[in-house]
Amino acid sequence: MRKSHLARLALHAANLLVIGFFMLPLAAVTIGALQSEKSLEASTRTVLPPEWTLDNFRVILSGGAQTGAIFQSATYLPDNVKKIYYALGNSIVIASSVTLLTLVFGSLSAYTVARLRLRWVVWLMNVNLFARFVPIIVLMIPLYVTFRQLGLLNSIWSVIIALTGFLLPYGVLILAPYFATIPRELEEAARIDGCSRFMAFVRITLPLSGPALASYGAIVFIIAWNDLLIPLILNNRAEFMTLPVVIASLVGDVHVFFNLMMAICLLALAPSVILVMVLRRFVIEGLVAGAVKG
Amino acid sequence: MSQPAATGLDGTAVPAASGRWRRSGAELSPRLLGVVMNLPTMATLTLVLAYPLFYAAFLSLHKVTPGELRRGIFPWVGFDNYARILSDPLFILALEHTLIFTIVSVTVEIVLAIAIALLIDQRQVWTSNVTKLLILVPYAVPPIANGLIWSFLYDFNFGFLNRILFTLGLIDQPIDWVGNPRTALLALTVPYVWRTLPFAILLVHAALQGIGRELYEAAGVDGAGALRRFWHITLPLLRPIIVVILVLRTSFAFAVFEEVLAITQGGPGDATWVAVWYSYKRSFAPPFDIGVGAAAAYVLALIVGGLAIAYVRLIYRPVD
Repeated sequence: MRKSHLARLALHAANLLVIGFFMLPLAAVTIGALQSEKSLEASTRTVLPPEWTLDNFRVILSGGAQTGAIFQSATYLPDNVKKIYYALGNSIVIASSVTLLTLVFGSLSAYTVARLRLRWVVWLMNVNLFARFVPIIVLMIPLYVTFRQLGLLNSIWSVIIALTGFLLPYGVLILAPYFATIPRELEEAARIDGCSRFMAFVRITLPLSGPALASYGAIVFIIAWNDLLIPLILNNRAEFMTLPVVIASLVGDVHVFFNLMMAICLLALAPSVILVMVLRRFVIEGLVAGAVKG
Repeated sequence: MSQPAATGLDGTAVPAASGRWRRSGAELSPRLLGVVMNLPTMATLTLVLAYPLFYAAFLSLHKVTPGELRRGIFPWVGFDNYARILSDPLFILALEHTLIFTIVSVTVEIVLAIAIALLIDQRQVWTSNVTKLLILVPYAVPPIANGLIWSFLYDFNFGFLNRILFTLGLIDQPIDWVGNPRTALLALTVPYVWRTLPFAILLVHAALQGIGRELYEAAGVDGAGALRRFWHITLPLLRPIIVVILVLRTSFAFAVFEEVLAITQGGPGDATWVAVWYSYKRSFAPPFDIGVGAAAAYVLALIVGGLAIAYVRLIYRPVD
């Protein structure tokens, strides 16, 4: 269908509007992170700062040891930010472990849904569908009490276990339909060659399911990386915080100004945004499959 | 059990069909294999889903404050906690806010999602392809970072939105975006819609791909205009996916938390107290009343659970 000149112009304008809306917070966080407190305060009516600086990142990444030219007067940095490497490390370890665990557990369950005709497995599938609706706060209050009684607060393991459980249901929803599309005959051929049912799955179906595994893995990593409520409730010592918890701890701290906050936000959002752009196709397929199929 | 699967997953070559894997003598029956392969999932789901769901109900019927937590004994109080929250004006207010927030954000989201999905479907317009490329970005931003970024955008004195409007010459006095109790809740819906819109757009866009070109061409022959084609062909065919989005987004919007924490902390006054915020504040801030927090969370879960049942009935029909 050919479009008239005017129609094209209108479509371009609409696109610019949408792009502008989507990029607005990213522009704000970038520009905010690349200037000093002084320049943010000096001119409150201009978008671009008089001068750009990387000092915010220097201060944060050195744990407050290097202050940079513009921070010579300001000596205050919250303890949580000084220990940012703990948060960075915890975020990486938690998101990676949760991704690995959910991929393994989810694949195992999804196989039984896709290949073994068992009535109770279908029932398990229904539980999974239902599970995504339970508001996390309902589960976190009792988990807090339990972990507290067991002395498991302030540990990254409790966070890993909780996140793995909350993200597993998506795995069956995304993986099972994909496993089902892989011809059963391939596994049967391997079984004739002497593979057990399980090994036929591991060696034939699983390697052919790369796209679905990538979809699910990417989605899990992003959700685990971004999650706040679980580590916020379970861990309150700087050594066990994740990046989102450190960010949350800055809310209401009147001594921390927007430039530092934006720099930390940028550090926290960069990995997941980059991951999503690299694995774009898989993330899209996973989101659509997880919502509609199953 | 998880070890061999892990090797297969990260792509490393599993050793060629050697004698190790060929031993088929001791193969499990499908029934037993189903149990064994589901053990890790069932154990995890029992621990962090089934058990907490029951334990939350238990806690909501008991007195659980720091004193009881220290002693480890929770006295039975029956439905006292429920009676307390249901007679607490702040809880009712929080439920009202949650409802308003959900209705506004989900409605806006569905309308925008349909519009933007149609927009990025215009492949011959190059800016549409740019939009399509960028659509996933908000999905990846951590909700709490999103909240903090918007609190910078909204800030009265130093905020980015006011800076833009000043630069464009549209205002000469700064606007107090979240300081007004009447509009603070609406101001919260914007960041939330920003972050959650990509998911809705993607679903609508995927559904659009499933609509055959022939339908439109036939309509074109009949002389139907673009608007009529949208109303009589596109929209009816999008209905199933709109229902999915409606139910999923509604249940998630009921649990909004991060943006409230970062932007308003429930304020100004109590203008943006929502259900999860109430539950969180009662449990983990003074008075640290976990019984009351659990009761509030349970009321929320029951509301969302009703939605979930509707969803499962709508979506999950056994394959014929």
